[in-house]
Amino acid sequence: MKEKDRLVRTIFRAVDEYNRGLSEGGPLEKSLDKVLFGKSGRLDSLGLVNFIVLIEEKIEEEYGMAIVIADEKAMSQKRSPFKTIGRLAEYVSQLLEENKNG
Amino acid sequence: MIVRTLLERLEQYSESTAIIHNDTVLSYRDLSDLINKWLTKLNEEKIGPGAVTALIGDYSPDSIALIIASILNKQIIVPLTPLAETHFSEYLDLSRTQHVLDLRKGVCAFSMRDAEPRQNTILRELIEKERPGLILFTSGSSGHPKAVAHDFIKLLSKYQNAHKKYRTLCFLMFDHVAGIDTYFYSLYSGGMAVLPSSRNPADICSLIEKHKVEVLPTSPTFLNLLLLSEEYKKYDLSSLKIVTFGSERMPKAVLERLRRIFRDVRIIQKYGVTELGSPASKSGETDSTWIRIDGAHFKTRIVNGVLHVKTDTAMLGYLNAESPFTEDGWFNTGDSVEVDGDYIRILGRESEIINVGGEKVHPTEVENVIYEMENISEVVVYGEKNSIMGSIVCAKVSLLAEEEPDRFAIRLKQYCREKLPRYKVPVRVFVVNGALHTDRFKKRRQQE
Repeated sequence: MKEKDRLVRTIFRAVDEYNRGLSEGGPLEKSLDKVLFGKSGRLDSLGLVNFIVLIEEKIEEEYGMAIVIADEKAMSQKRSPFKTIGRLAEYVSQLLEENKNG
Repeated sequence: MIVRTLLERLEQYSESTAIIHNDTVLSYRDLSDLINKWLTKLNEEKIGPGAVTALIGDYSPDSIALIIASILNKQIIVPLTPLAETHFSEYLDLSRTQHVLDLRKGVCAFSMRDAEPRQNTILRELIEKERPGLILFTSGSSGHPKAVAHDFIKLLSKYQNAHKKYRTLCFLMFDHVAGIDTYFYSLYSGGMAVLPSSRNPADICSLIEKHKVEVLPTSPTFLNLLLLSEEYKKYDLSSLKIVTFGSERMPKAVLERLRRIFRDVRIIQKYGVTELGSPASKSGETDSTWIRIDGAHFKTRIVNGVLHVKTDTAMLGYLNAESPFTEDGWFNTGDSVEVDGDYIRILGRESEIINVGGEKVHPTEVENVIYEMENISEVVVYGEKNSIMGSIVCAKVSLLAEEEPDRFAIRLKQYCREKLPRYKVPVRVFVVNGALHTDRFKKRRQQE
């Protein structure tokens, strides 16, 4: 679980920065299962893009790995990785794993 | 004829100073003598009419005299500055250069190349009509350079009416259409051309002071550097009457600062296109980012927000690409513009527009806002592909004093959010060390 915590902490740092830079309609919550994007989601596509770029930057700082979260692959997943922060964390951990192995 | 006009004027102005370069002062008579010396030399080297001749060098009395001698000798001239060195072999191939005259070491080194200019329709026409030609290069949006062929006589025709004598600093490059415009205007009008050996702000200011320069044609990037360096405070620049800038859009904040510092100087935007030459233009009275183009020789129309131009000084065509002219002779400049009556304002290259989820963003608009912030040295805004929005806006910024990058990014986003719609606010912000401009003092907009 330690690895997961580290990842969630990293994503929450992106939440902090998002809230400081361009909070839209109140701050983004540090919650794993609040709906982030999609039906009744907190973010619109522009908000999502900004948030994801911040996560990518924080991941790079923390893990020293450059990953691209929003690409064709992410867009074509059956379960949207952008629905909640929990889902995002799962998807990112998968990317980090692939990155390590490949 | 236009070339004869130039010779007559050299004669007429004989005792006036034509060129100053380092410690060399040339009168118009000295320049005439130098041109004749080069004509003899070209003759000895058996370089005659129609020969495609590359001239490598930067500004010097010799390089200018050699260009004029080559025009008189009806050659096709390919000026190349050392800055373009990495492209030399490509440029020489594209232009089908036969003779290379290299002035870089102070003496002229002649060499020959195998090339068949007559196989190119445009070059063949110039050769058969015995018209002097000029070949310039544009980087083109595809990244492949295009060779632009001009009839030199047509290009010079506009200077027949040049009559305002100024002391002008030839800041813009020797191989650039606006640079060529600068020194030919100066020579046709009997003015004094001051040739720089370096283009850093201190050296330029020192030349202005020393030679009481009145006109400085330059770029927005250089003017920004000049303000940042504060070198203008150390020199007497009171001789300056006119500063012109072209080639890029001027950030509003820079323009306003310039106006405050140089109160008695007219600051004018010029519009020049390698394919079309430089038209005479007048800036709007109240806001000099608006330009009024001399409609007699330069007809304009706007198609979908993009400027189209029709002019007699237009190039003959590209040597290595299809003719870009419509059947009735209009040229699509690719520049997005705003229009207000007779006036136009350049918004930027159409190809640089960032499409964020269907919304158009002009990089310069965002750059203007960022320039208003504290601690900014230079800014470049560009687009990056993104699978959610199509593209996102990114900003590369170099700072005056060190600032923690994450903090700065937040500050930038907050500032932009107050001034711009959300989709125009940079998503990615890079803080970089060092210059964001090229050696030609133009913005480096491509990503590395």
